[in-house]
Amino acid sequence: MNCNHDHSDKNYSRRDFLTKTSLGLGALSLGSLMSPTDAYGSSNFLNLLDSNKQKLPHFAPKAKRVIYLFQSGAPSQLDLFDYKPKLNEMFGQEVPKSIIGEQRLTGMSAGQNSFPMAGSLFNFKQHGNSGAWMSDLMPHTAKIVDELCFIKSMHTDAINHDPAMTLIQTGSQLPGRPSIGSWLSYGLGSDNKNLPEFVVLITKGETGQPLYSKLWGNGFLPSEHQGVQFRAGKDAVLYLENPPGVSANVREEQLKYLNKLQQIQHADIGDPEILARMSQYEMAFRMQTSVPEVMDLSDEPEYIFDLYGKDSKTPGTFAANCLMARKLAEKDVKFIQLYHQGWDMHSTLPKSIRNKSREVDQATAGLIKDLKQRGLLEDTLVVWGGEFGRTNYSQGLLKPDDYGRDHHPRCFTIFMAGAGIKKGITLGATDEFGYNITERPVHVHDFQATLMHLLGIDHEKLTFKFQGRRYRLTDVSGNVVNEILS
Amino acid sequence: MFYDLSNFLGSLHPLVVHLPIGFVLLTMIFEFSANSKNTIQNRMISLGWLFTFISSLIASLFGWFLGDNGYYFESQIDIHRWSGILFVVICFLVWVYKSSNLPPNTFLSRFRNVIVITLLTVTGHYGGSMTHGEDYLTENLPEIIKEKLGDDYEEISTISSRSIDSLFVYEDLIHPFLEDKCMVCHNDENTSGGLNMTVFELLVKGGENETGITKRNAYKSSIFNRVVMSQRNEKFMPPTGIPLSFDQTKILEWWIEEGAKLEQPITSFREDAKIQKLLLHLYEVDIREKPFLETLVLEDLSENDLIYLENENFEFRFLSNKNTVLDLKFIGEDITKENLKSLDKIKEHVVWLSIIDSNLSDDEMAYLPNLKNLTRLKIQKNFISNKGVPYLEGLDNLSELNLYGTRITDASFEVFSKMKGLKKVFLWKTQVTKKGVAQFAAQYPNIEVMVGY
Repeated sequence: MNCNHDHSDKNYSRRDFLTKTSLGLGALSLGSLMSPTDAYGSSNFLNLLDSNKQKLPHFAPKAKRVIYLFQSGAPSQLDLFDYKPKLNEMFGQEVPKSIIGEQRLTGMSAGQNSFPMAGSLFNFKQHGNSGAWMSDLMPHTAKIVDELCFIKSMHTDAINHDPAMTLIQTGSQLPGRPSIGSWLSYGLGSDNKNLPEFVVLITKGETGQPLYSKLWGNGFLPSEHQGVQFRAGKDAVLYLENPPGVSANVREEQLKYLNKLQQIQHADIGDPEILARMSQYEMAFRMQTSVPEVMDLSDEPEYIFDLYGKDSKTPGTFAANCLMARKLAEKDVKFIQLYHQGWDMHSTLPKSIRNKSREVDQATAGLIKDLKQRGLLEDTLVVWGGEFGRTNYSQGLLKPDDYGRDHHPRCFTIFMAGAGIKKGITLGATDEFGYNITERPVHVHDFQATLMHLLGIDHEKLTFKFQGRRYRLTDVSGNVVNEILS
Repeated sequence: MFYDLSNFLGSLHPLVVHLPIGFVLLTMIFEFSANSKNTIQNRMISLGWLFTFISSLIASLFGWFLGDNGYYFESQIDIHRWSGILFVVICFLVWVYKSSNLPPNTFLSRFRNVIVITLLTVTGHYGGSMTHGEDYLTENLPEIIKEKLGDDYEEISTISSRSIDSLFVYEDLIHPFLEDKCMVCHNDENTSGGLNMTVFELLVKGGENETGITKRNAYKSSIFNRVVMSQRNEKFMPPTGIPLSFDQTKILEWWIEEGAKLEQPITSFREDAKIQKLLLHLYEVDIREKPFLETLVLEDLSENDLIYLENENFEFRFLSNKNTVLDLKFIGEDITKENLKSLDKIKEHVVWLSIIDSNLSDDEMAYLPNLKNLTRLKIQKNFISNKGVPYLEGLDNLSELNLYGTRITDASFEVFSKMKGLKKVFLWKTQVTKKGVAQFAAQYPNIEVMVGY
């Protein structure tokens, strides 16, 4: 990039000159001598090499936007969705050795002398016309199962929260890759001039597994594609307001001159991050009016608050964030990422999960209903789920009315609703102990590939070259789950 | 006994055939550099021609045996055989000339060399074509040269570039490979085994002893059975060259099992996932039903059209990787007739349109019927009443209509019932009644009406 800092009076340093002439001019002249399209005709080979030449969307999209209700900490699929009467029947007995096999367990429970199976304490029933199983922990969601598509055979590679969350959000267990929302923003651009393409809403005051901003980070993509966190409270977006004493006019003028300076600098050294910074300044300026507008819920009628539950009146709750998500969807924000922490229940699960489910149940159902009545569910994809599942055996002492569950990457359940997804279906199944997948495994990368597909992206074609390698969200794997596409 | 021996000797032909080639080239080099007055050298040269003659005689004899075993077609062999024999004769004559004491003639020997080399090339080329296939020489050329040469790749791409509705299983998929692999021997003039495959009825009938096609029974159809049996079986077809590929035999089997109809359209097998994959794999033909958007064939929009749209306060997004189908969103405050008029230029390109909360009036709806390819129309939260809705009646492709927050009443249901493509209509916060909705839903169960919770 720029090696010119010490030669501010010159356009090019010696090194710049050599780099740019050897690569720039050389490539330019070669290019004119032998145009790749002439030499290779319509060969796909070069197109594959240069993904930027691939126009997006790759095909007609079903969804225009995504609302991802991420349940951080991993909700227990065995107490919410995946009904296993066998576990109740054999309550307290050891998990058969043949079921666990040689699979690794976390350090937290691997040392246990006993792995007693813990059947769920909650009642399961089939709901709706589709007959989907759900426990009575989420009664509101149970009423709309005919809108939902459950995948009971999700599995992941990571066994601990941070790598698992990083995997499902960025496609890699190691930090540093762009998050799903960043890829979409990079690939599809903006549908909205006044708000970012990728907005993050986190339930306020929750504890549990930490949420690092890498989960909504842009990784190696230009930085305007990172998620922007909207906070509940006085400043929805930090440092967005003008400092005291600076009026809007003054600010506008400042930005105008700043823009000129940046343009000069970009013309000089050509660093794409300058463009990113410029677009961020401009976006921030527009957001000074658009963000307070969208964060203001005072226009919402009472029956809408009733739909999302009474929590929705308290800013920063999951319910309020769901309502906010709908407003952002109406404004065509492309990727709306909610995080709700606190599902990591290693002990006293029955008590904790009651509270946790209550926090999300009505709001989740309310959001889907509200989207539906506005016609937004036609082009919005809603995803609900965590980073992995929980074990069928109790972590710690199993009591008749109490147990804990450890991390379980071998199977977990998520559900989706909306654009391009079949309604009222359940895909995949686990064995009768709820430990291993017996039918249609869906890897995290398959889920991501499917999500991209719904937005009109071939996940294998949206790539970005960084440090000599082309990266993509699904890394080197992932297959679209066609069975759930409508 | 003799048959076995001749078969064995025949198989030595490709080996022996290289001897005369070596001899003749070496002899010609010697001759070129030799001093014509040196008798020892002359004797060596004459000996060289003798060896060439003898070895080429043996090679051609073996070749005759090989050609007689029936694995090659007369049409292919002819040139190879007779140019080979001519080569033998010429070598003999040259040897006779050389061993007599006639004076050397430079012109004659040069002329002779040209003929010998030409014969050698022709014979060798046709021989090679028979053993290695006709495109043997060119098939491994670098891609760039191949494309320059205009290699006949076309065959695959012409199928994939045609509309799948116009493709037939036999004519477009099966006939080309049968023509390639079988019809050289089984045609009007040359009906090996009494089979003529160029006429469909005769192909079905079969040869002297076997039925060509038994409908719905591939293994009782010789055209399938013969190409999938063990390749060691002498009945295996084709007897030489590259056998049919796995995919080709599968298509043949599938077509026979389905009744072997001459006019079986490819699309009649949309539902068969295996065949879907196979056709995609082999011909790059996707027989899955295409979404409406992909069936539209439109001209690319120009940059000017798009700038014009932006000036009229429409935000656009393409819905495919071509610059054709558009998702349009009005982003101004109040929509005007001028804004709407601008849509006329691109009326076929708009498939999704949002004019939400923009004071769209009943009269302004009059601009919408031109947008024939609309599939999704979002005009919620506008001052629309029953008066405006009839404008939408002719939009046959419209499947999703959002009218929530408008002032329409039950009277509009009549219009909805006439809209051919309508699947979903959103009527939350309008003046439709529960009774009206229930009646409509009962009468038109395929149209989903959403009125809120």
